[in-house]
Amino acid sequence: MNEKVMLIDVSKCTACRGCQVACKQWNRLPAEKTQQRGTHQNPPDLTPATWNLVRFTEIPLREGGVRWLFRKDNCMHCEDAACQRACPVPGCIFKTAEGAVVIDTEKCIGCEYCVNVCPFEIPRFDSATKKVYKCTLCWDRIGNGQIPACAKTCGPGAVTFGPKEKMIAQAYARAKALGGDATVYGDKFVKGTHVMYVLPEKVRMYEKLTINPSVPVSVYLWKDFLKPVSVLAIGAALVGTFFHYIIKGPKRPEEGGE
Amino acid sequence: MAKPKNLILSSTVFERVVHWVLAGSCLFLFLTGFGLMFHSLSFMANFFPGGHYIMKLLHNIVGIIFGIAFLFALIAWGKDTLYFDEDDKKWFRVMGGYLWEVEKVPEAGKFNAGQKMFFMVLFLFWFIMMGTGIFMWFPIFPAEITRWLYVLHALGVVVLGGFLVIHFYLGTYGNPGTFQVMGHGYVTKGWAKKHRPKWLRDVEAGRRSV
Ligand code: HEM
Ligand code: SF4
Ligand code: SF4
Ligand code: SF4
Repeated sequence: MNEKVMLIDVSKCTACRGCQVACKQWNRLPAEKTQQRGTHQNPPDLTPATWNLVRFTEIPLREGGVRWLFRKDNCMHCEDAACQRACPVPGCIFKTAEGAVVIDTEKCIGCEYCVNVCPFEIPRFDSATKKVYKCTLCWDRIGNGQIPACAKTCGPGAVTFGPKEKMIAQAYARAKALGGDATVYGDKFVKGTHVMYVLPEKVRMYEKLTINPSVPVSVYLWKDFLKPVSVLAIGAALVGTFFHYIIKGPKRPEEGGE
Repeated sequence: MAKPKNLILSSTVFERVVHWVLAGSCLFLFLTGFGLMFHSLSFMANFFPGGHYIMKLLHNIVGIIFGIAFLFALIAWGKDTLYFDEDDKKWFRVMGGYLWEVEKVPEAGKFNAGQKMFFMVLFLFWFIMMGTGIFMWFPIFPAEITRWLYVLHALGVVVLGGFLVIHFYLGTYGNPGTFQVMGHGYVTKGWAKKHRPKWLRDVEAGRRSV
């Protein structure tokens, strides 16, 4: 395997949003009209044309003033990807050797299954094109030995990219060096993600960061239980009626039983 | 069609047309739905110009047709199906004579207890399939809710799938003569005596027409 991981060291992020711009540039995504909401987070949320967003969380300090927490938010590229389990079109959501989970927009039918099962609320539906969009981990760059556009542009070195094992080791070393509440986020759920964080604060401090994410139970019930059971039910009914016919036989009007 | 000699009308034109629209739309929903649920059946999308996208859209539109057709089915059959009487309880005790030899099967009206139950289950799952289907198509609820609609919709496939196979068998091979209730509408007196004794008495006494 040639698995890669993007490591986002939140403690080094200066919120310059260079990665947001680089993502738009590489993927030829248009700028969007936005609104002033009294925060630097802009646009307010991920959109079909914003696959990468630096989120700003303000924490009021007891001694007055605020502390900023920044988090670059984009698809986590789950090893066990709920979106891929749910997608009804074969090959529409696929995984590359590096571990990128990519939507083939050509094949997407806009059913929004992926939108509603993603544990990280990542994919975004575009009502104009009737398709869904999200970060591709720059699969069209990393397949050629380059690193993702956002990682390439990151000045302070908050976004890095490399072989999976190496990045995981680096993440733990960095969290240890930071001390306090610092944690590593990503390798312990959904069989490991190909985007990981080093977080100086507890997970719950960051906007929209899922605590203990997992593939939703409903996806297992739907795809791994009811789906095969539907074939079983129809098969059992066919077999049952067949044996009814040859053992008990049909009910003929001409036989008694007024 | 002119009334054939010695046969009696078992269903009106309205009932037969509603039945075919219901059956046709339901079969279409099953086929296209399975084409969406099983990647191994995705070749079904090749039958539609525009592939999966059109197959899904047609599934949704035919879903609406199915939904409306069932409203007419309620008008046609609701009054004869949405209740159980004493005979029906006795009918269930011997399972209508379908599973073991029974001396005398309790008498049925236009529909026997099993058919009534089938219609009630269909009513319930019509509601579930419409309710879930529409909000899968237009997901206006939060993701945490919408993802459970998928589960309910699939549960409907399991239940309806099993029931419809049995329904088909009992309407054809399992009960010779019955298919014409859905066909040209005329059945023999012997058939009516066997399957609808109470209804036959009502028709012959002029208490109901069909
Ligand atoms: C007898 C009735 C029906 C059957 C047997 C049926 C069957 C199915 C099946 C097998 C699937 C695939 C589910 C999956 O991928 O897990 C599906 C999906 C779906 N069904 Fe139905 N269905 C029925 C009625 C309806 C109705 C009445 C509607 C309402 C409009 C509807 C709307 C949908 C939608 C929106 C989907 C999701 C995929 C898509 O967007 O096409 N269905 N159905
Ligand atoms: S984060 Fe969501 S969209 Fe990305 S791979 Fe995981 S499930 Fe799919
Ligand atoms: S919206 Fe597109 S990518 Fe998402 S599950 Fe549906 S077909 Fe697949
Ligand atoms: S990996 Fe590529 S697509 Fe994903 S956020 Fe970075 S630049 Fe955008």
